[in-house]
Amino acid sequence: MLCLAFSLLISVPILAFVYHQTDTLFEQRIRSRLDDRQQRLVSSYDEGGLGELVVAIDEEIETGAARGGAILLVSGDGHKIAGDVAAWPPTLRPPADWVEMRLYPERATQPTLYALRALRLRNGEMLLLGANVEDREHMRASLVEALIGALVLAIPLGLIGGVLLLRVSERQARHIHQVAGRIAAGDFSHRVDEAAGGEEFALLASAINAMLERIEELVEQLRLVTDSLAHDLRSPLTRMRANIERAAGYATAEPEQQALESISLDIDRVLRLISATLEISRAEAGVGRHQFAEFDIGDLLRDICEIYAPVAEERGVTLSVAKAPSVIYTGNRQLIGQSLANLVDNALKYGESGGKIAMSAAETDEGIELSVADWGPGIPPELRADAVGKYRRLEAARTTEGSGLGLAMVRAVARLHAGDIRLEGNEPGLRVVMTLHRTVPNIADV
Amino acid sequence: MTKKILVVEDDETTSDYIASGLQQNGFVVDRARDGRDGLFHAIDGRYAAIVLDRMLPGMDGLAVLSAMRAAGIETPVIILSALGSTDERVKGLKTGSDDYLSKPFAFSELLARIEALQRRGPAASEPVVTSLSCGDLTMDLLTRRVERGGERIDLQPREFRLLELLLRNHGQVVTRTMMFEEVWDYHFDPGTNVIDVHISRLRRKIDEGAATPLLHTIRGVGYMLGDTP
Repeated sequence: MLCLAFSLLISVPILAFVYHQTDTLFEQRIRSRLDDRQQRLVSSYDEGGLGELVVAIDEEIETGAARGGAILLVSGDGHKIAGDVAAWPPTLRPPADWVEMRLYPERATQPTLYALRALRLRNGEMLLLGANVEDREHMRASLVEALIGALVLAIPLGLIGGVLLLRVSERQARHIHQVAGRIAAGDFSHRVDEAAGGEEFALLASAINAMLERIEELVEQLRLVTDSLAHDLRSPLTRMRANIERAAGYATAEPEQQALESISLDIDRVLRLISATLEISRAEAGVGRHQFAEFDIGDLLRDICEIYAPVAEERGVTLSVAKAPSVIYTGNRQLIGQSLANLVDNALKYGESGGKIAMSAAETDEGIELSVADWGPGIPPELRADAVGKYRRLEAARTTEGSGLGLAMVRAVARLHAGDIRLEGNEPGLRVVMTLHRTVPNIADV
Repeated sequence: MTKKILVVEDDETTSDYIASGLQQNGFVVDRARDGRDGLFHAIDGRYAAIVLDRMLPGMDGLAVLSAMRAAGIETPVIILSALGSTDERVKGLKTGSDDYLSKPFAFSELLARIEALQRRGPAASEPVVTSLSCGDLTMDLLTRRVERGGERIDLQPREFRLLELLLRNHGQVVTRTMMFEEVWDYHFDPGTNVIDVHISRLRRKIDEGAATPLLHTIRGVGYMLGDTP
């Protein structure tokens, strides 16, 4: 559609210009012929008076020098003196330079369109000179025809050109889109091809690449900072833990043993908090995509159910897999497993009163939907957004023991797989849905 | 013959901690402070196992490991790392380590893993085992039949694998993390009592009504299967 408008926009003014030029040229020729005739007749009048003029007029009619022209000479009171037109057209008042009008010349069988010139001679006689412009009408018609023909030709040509042009820019846009998609999915090694698609695209591409360079640098810095933070914090904590263990070996009294053990437990808690925070920021930065592999979603659900069912049972909760079709998905099995474990852990902690927890998986157009539902008190709709928010992240990591890295971790993992999480009412209870998409660009096929 | 363990670790306290613990448990310990020195020792000496830190001055732990494996040294290696995330772990295992332990760790966890590696031995020379036993508990790996004192015990598939792991390491401590990794193949921390609940179910099946319990809890470390407490 855009192409059509574009080719019309270009060809119509060109064709209109051609039409106008041709028409003007034709008119100029007629005008100059009229000028010639007028000059000749007026000069014979000037030289020999009325008689000479009448001779010249008759001569013009006989020899056909006017070539389809009309001529008429009338006296001041309107009586015809010479010419091949019966009477002076009543609406025509001399002097007139160019008036178009249909007349009946004496030898014609039908009215013909003339361009008329009227002038008053020195002694009051009026002279009418007509040039047949019927030809011009024919020419106009065929000109229009020719121009329409040209337009008909120009449209498909313009369309093809437009489509080609559009395709080039579309390909370039798609390329940029692809690269952006991969970057968004956490693979920062891609760059836009700067050589393809013309100067404007090269400019855009180099700007995008400069931006990507910077993003990659920042992510790499984050990775370095988190790694060294992990190392720098963990090493002294490890030493502390070692020394406590050693001290526990020397301590004989039970109270000392207990104190040392509780310090040891606290150190473990701090370490878990560090791990949780690091794990979340790493997943958010897209680290962990290198471990993507194929696995069966159904098996994963059954695994997690099997791991947690005995714990749930001890607390009087039935953990079951409601629906787990055998679907092969490419992702990070460890992280997804951990996320599901977190959700089950949360459901056990907050939805215990409901007496049951159901896990299920479903295949959607985009990928997979995993959900964990409980029949506990749930979370009111207005607080659901908060539950996964940044503020709650630390809160969740702090209050959740063991595997619990909170919903923030689950969301980070979902985003690593181009998905997200959402909280729904289970009427009664809470259902957490984790979506995983299949459209994550795979590093392997690049 | 006493077994020699090489500890490659730049942090002095951690290195002391590991070395003294191993010596107390009857191992001879060689120590290296950086990657280059570690590689030199590893290629030179015959070790029962190598404890290798991931982040070392001079030469990174993974580089030492791949150089070692390239030189044909098949000594079992346990990587110690402050990088605990699962992808780092997989990277370590792919490079050719036999086990991966993230810092901080309890010494008992490290010891249990070193001993498990000793039992496993070189994969090629291991004879095919078709049955395992401990006291009057027997497990036939082919028919998947488990009996205690001639009485058949019905086990779920995971319970079977859990018991198999304990039987293969009988007389030695198996930690909770080792169980979670071996039996379920997940590397995250499943939470405090998840493994304990599975063990107590297994214990009910194999020890209930028996005169001598076989499955023992080792406080603060893990579990052990053995006919002597």
